[in-house]
Amino acid sequence: MQAVRNFILERNPKLEQLDDDLDLIDSRAINSLAFVEFIFLLEELTGESIDPEELDLDDFRTLNAIGARFLKQKAAS
Amino acid sequence: MAVREIEPIELELDRLEHMAESGYYNPYTLFDWPDAIEPDKPWMSESLTTLAGTEMWDELTREQQIALTKYEAINFFSLNIHGIRELMSEVVMRIHERTYANVSEFLHHFIGEENEHMWFFAQFCLRYGGKLYPAQPTLQADSVEHLSPVARELVVFARILIFEEIVDHYNAYMATDESLPHIAREINRVHHQDESRHVAFGRMIFTNLLGQVAKRDPAEVPLVAEYLENYLRYSIATLYNPAAYRDAGIPDALALRRRALEHPARHAAHERILKRTRTFLTKSGVGRELVK
Repeated sequence: MQAVRNFILERNPKLEQLDDDLDLIDSRAINSLAFVEFIFLLEELTGESIDPEELDLDDFRTLNAIGARFLKQKAAS
Repeated sequence: MAVREIEPIELELDRLEHMAESGYYNPYTLFDWPDAIEPDKPWMSESLTTLAGTEMWDELTREQQIALTKYEAINFFSLNIHGIRELMSEVVMRIHERTYANVSEFLHHFIGEENEHMWFFAQFCLRYGGKLYPAQPTLQADSVEHLSPVARELVVFARILIFEEIVDHYNAYMATDESLPHIAREINRVHHQDESRHVAFGRMIFTNLLGQVAKRDPAEVPLVAEYLENYLRYSIATLYNPAAYRDAGIPDALALRRRALEHPARHAAHERILKRTRTFLTKSGVGRELVK
């Protein structure tokens, strides 16, 4: 999860705090241009491939959702 | 679309329209499609693959190298197809709007030609590769919400222009690369020929809209420059598709992708690919030097 946090914080230097419930998409912490790289990062971390035509955006909205869907752990751990 | 806030686009397009008319061809009968691609030939120029110039290329077996040219050609043409889908839908929604009334004649040529390009790229991929790579996902809440309507309009045409210029860098080289199969060379040559008109138009409309952005609020120009710089980087990164590495039988596709993207030889290659576009953006006053 730290790698996921780092990815977002590196691209959002103005973001002082990254809440686990922050909507990463609506807040533009992850924009369209970064989204593809973000998916590749998750694929690399999980070893699981993500089909771009099948993905559900809600799985990517918050750190909590990402943790539950991809990392099988709570975001804070 | 808030085109009402945008002044009507006036461009001198007689020459480009005349060229589009006189050079018109039937794409469905133009090409002589062979049954198969010669097995030992690369499908795209080896020097244009994403591992070219690195030790990662040298470490591949010859079979893997040929396979990489095959799957990166399919990726390149798939990116073309998805890029055309995006730009066509944007242009279709603007043609014959008041803002674009004076350029609609050329837009008809543009839409028609782009549809034909999409057809022959798909033919190549499906006939010889049996597939296209899927489009990368996009987000509804997009990266342009902080921009004014006229700047967003500029971004639409800037994306089209940047996409076309990057593709044209590849097409121009492969159009005359004798190591390629004839059909691959031909597709690149024909596309290169049509795109020269589209790029000329793209630069004219870009200059017009950038002028409107600067007139409304000069402070917005650096924000546009920042977006465009990000878009250039994003476009380059889409050429590095891990699925193509996997299909070519190369292990650790994602780690390889990261290594390749960071490699100094690839940074130099990216500068070459983007040189013409960066020069144009800088001359237009919206280059990367404005990005803080």
